[in-house]
Amino acid sequence: MARTPSRLRPLPRLWRLSAATLAVGLTLGLGACSSGPDPVSIGLITKQEDNPYWRSMKQSAQNEASRESVDLVTATGATDVDVEAQRQAIKDMVAKGVKGIILAPTSSTALNPDIEAARQAGVLVVAVDTPVDPVSVVDAYYATDNKEAGRQIGTYAAAKAAQLGLTPKVAMLNLAPGISSGEQRRDGFLEGMGLTAEAPQLAASADTQGDRQLGEKAMATILAQHADVNVVYTVNEQAALGALEALKAADADLSRIVLVSIDGGCQAMRDAVRPGEIDATAMQFPENMARESVRAIATAERGGAAPSGYVNTGTELVSDAPAPGVPSKDTAFGIRTCWG
Amino acid sequence: MAVSDVDSGRQKAPLVAPNLRVPFILLILCFAAWGAAANLTDVLVGVFRGIFDMSNFQSSLVQFAYYGAYFCLALPAAFINKRFGYKAGVLVGLGMAAIGGVLFLPASGMLVYEMFLLALFVLAAGLSILETSANPFVIAMGDEASATQRLNLAQAFNPIGANIGVLMGAVLILPRLTPESSKVIMTEEELVASQAADLNLVLQPYLGIAAVLVLIWLLIAFRKFSLPNPPEALDPAATQGNVASRLWHNKHYRYGVVAQFFNVAAQTCVWTFTILYAQDVVGTTPTQAGWWLQASLIIFLVSRFVMTFLLGIIKPTLLLLIMAVFGVVCCAVAMFSWNTVGLVAVVLVSASLSLMFPTIYGVSLQGLGEDAKFGAAGLVMAILGGAIVPMVHAAVMDAVGPAMGYVVPGICLALVAAYAVFDLTHSRPAVGSAPAEQ
Repeated sequence: MARTPSRLRPLPRLWRLSAATLAVGLTLGLGACSSGPDPVSIGLITKQEDNPYWRSMKQSAQNEASRESVDLVTATGATDVDVEAQRQAIKDMVAKGVKGIILAPTSSTALNPDIEAARQAGVLVVAVDTPVDPVSVVDAYYATDNKEAGRQIGTYAAAKAAQLGLTPKVAMLNLAPGISSGEQRRDGFLEGMGLTAEAPQLAASADTQGDRQLGEKAMATILAQHADVNVVYTVNEQAALGALEALKAADADLSRIVLVSIDGGCQAMRDAVRPGEIDATAMQFPENMARESVRAIATAERGGAAPSGYVNTGTELVSDAPAPGVPSKDTAFGIRTCWG
Repeated sequence: MAVSDVDSGRQKAPLVAPNLRVPFILLILCFAAWGAAANLTDVLVGVFRGIFDMSNFQSSLVQFAYYGAYFCLALPAAFINKRFGYKAGVLVGLGMAAIGGVLFLPASGMLVYEMFLLALFVLAAGLSILETSANPFVIAMGDEASATQRLNLAQAFNPIGANIGVLMGAVLILPRLTPESSKVIMTEEELVASQAADLNLVLQPYLGIAAVLVLIWLLIAFRKFSLPNPPEALDPAATQGNVASRLWHNKHYRYGVVAQFFNVAAQTCVWTFTILYAQDVVGTTPTQAGWWLQASLIIFLVSRFVMTFLLGIIKPTLLLLIMAVFGVVCCAVAMFSWNTVGLVAVVLVSASLSLMFPTIYGVSLQGLGEDAKFGAAGLVMAILGGAIVPMVHAAVMDAVGPAMGYVVPGICLALVAAYAVFDLTHSRPAVGSAPAEQ
């Protein structure tokens, strides 16, 4: 179609006008860009990366590092007891000149000389998830309050049993002797239930090492001797999933059994807590451990206060069958904030 | 065809009158602006739930405020247009919407949810007036023969704006929100500080939209122009009388309004709760959830073109029936597959929604003759479904879980399917005939 040049002339102006209008909007909408602070180099050493718990922690640390202009160096071991890999990682990171190390120690004492050497070199060291002994070996310790987590599910179990009209007969699937996190969870549970270690309501207990198969085996053994168990404490969700299999195999009436656990992993949240097979779980938040420790070290290196002491990274009771008088969140919250 | 133009000795009229090209472009930006604002609101429901630690029902009041304002202002907007003209309507709409955007500023300072609802109400009220004025304004900006083409061109920018709205939410708001898990260990003071920081994120895109609207307002307000194709004034005397009665007794129309109500309801529910489904049921991050909503809108956009093609092959109400049933199936999958499959089903509902509004609109008004002018108003008022039904969806989520909430859009789409079946199985009265009891 023929058009005169005079008709074509206004178009570039219109495009300029449109572009200018859009540019103003986008500029205002997107906000002003600003340059970040000087980067800080921080190391993160997890126990291993087969377990989604540690992968979540690493992912959260990476997210926070990008927000805080931190160069994050990571290392991990092959297993939960791979002390040598962690020892080497500490040395490598110090040699690289990191300003801080976030360490999930595979041993409470074996790494102490390496940690002390790093601190003497001016590196801040924060232990996460697992403490070292003595705790003063590190600058700070960021972890779940395991006793509080146990107390939450103990309080829930007592209230739920009362709601169901049950006289508690309790089975306890513990971690293993001498591991502080497991002992704290057990003590907290008993305190929440209002029981002592010698209470007659405690029908049986077994160590599971937090393993699913051992949990199943232990539960099956307990059921063979105490078929009337109606409250089951599990030290973590893997043990709980194992216990669940044993209970199903024994044709137990799950609606008359209160099964509680601790962790907040996504697998158990989807497969057992949301369907109501695990009645309640106390979530822990590895991403808080990572986020808060990265932020604390970055802040300290930029002139803020240095991290020190114990920092509670939070626990939250999750259940879709709340017990009267016990605060809890629903499983939608659990699904949103679970790890793994 | 160029040959016929030459042969006929006439020059083809331009799509837009030459002196109105700038206002036309500005109005196109308005179409994009209200698409952006509407779909940014879909993002806000989940954002406010997290910031103010509310139930799903409380957060769904965002949509009640937004679509409620659209409903309430439709008739006043028509009055403004009739009394003062389209330009005045557009300016009032732009001004009011800009004020609504600016009201986010005091709202984010006060940290009060109700203040945000007020800001959204004012913003949506302005956009309602703007939309009511801009459509006929665009029609009047050129030759009558090209009016439909002009309106289609302008309206094509609405879904583009809708995608920009979600993109703003996905890029500017969702990734920068305070992580929910970190609130578990915050003190009261830290929680308030995180609220303020998160609300500041919400503020930015709305201030951006307000700035664009103010700029468009200035460019339109200080430009003189006359419309080459002013719309004919309706003669109330000629159309009053038993129009309402005729429309009421026409079941194709009456049920069409009901179907449109449930179509808008289903669309608002699905898009409002996609982000919450992704987070609460599947466990995605807020950022990932934003991208799933973005995917929904892209599918909606692409499906519109596919449906336009299919409507040339398949009878409209038959295609409506097929797609409505597809939507119901998707909702059922979303209810019972609590994983990525369910989330994909939620996103695919947008394909079924893509043809519904124009199809129900056309089928309902078919054969109404002059009554269609009044009948159209009823169909526009069906937007009320977007205000009310999301609250029902949210209440179901609160009562029985986030996935089961999708029973609500499922029922809405089933009712749309029922309307399609009705139209397929009932003949409609001939134009101008007395309405028979059908």
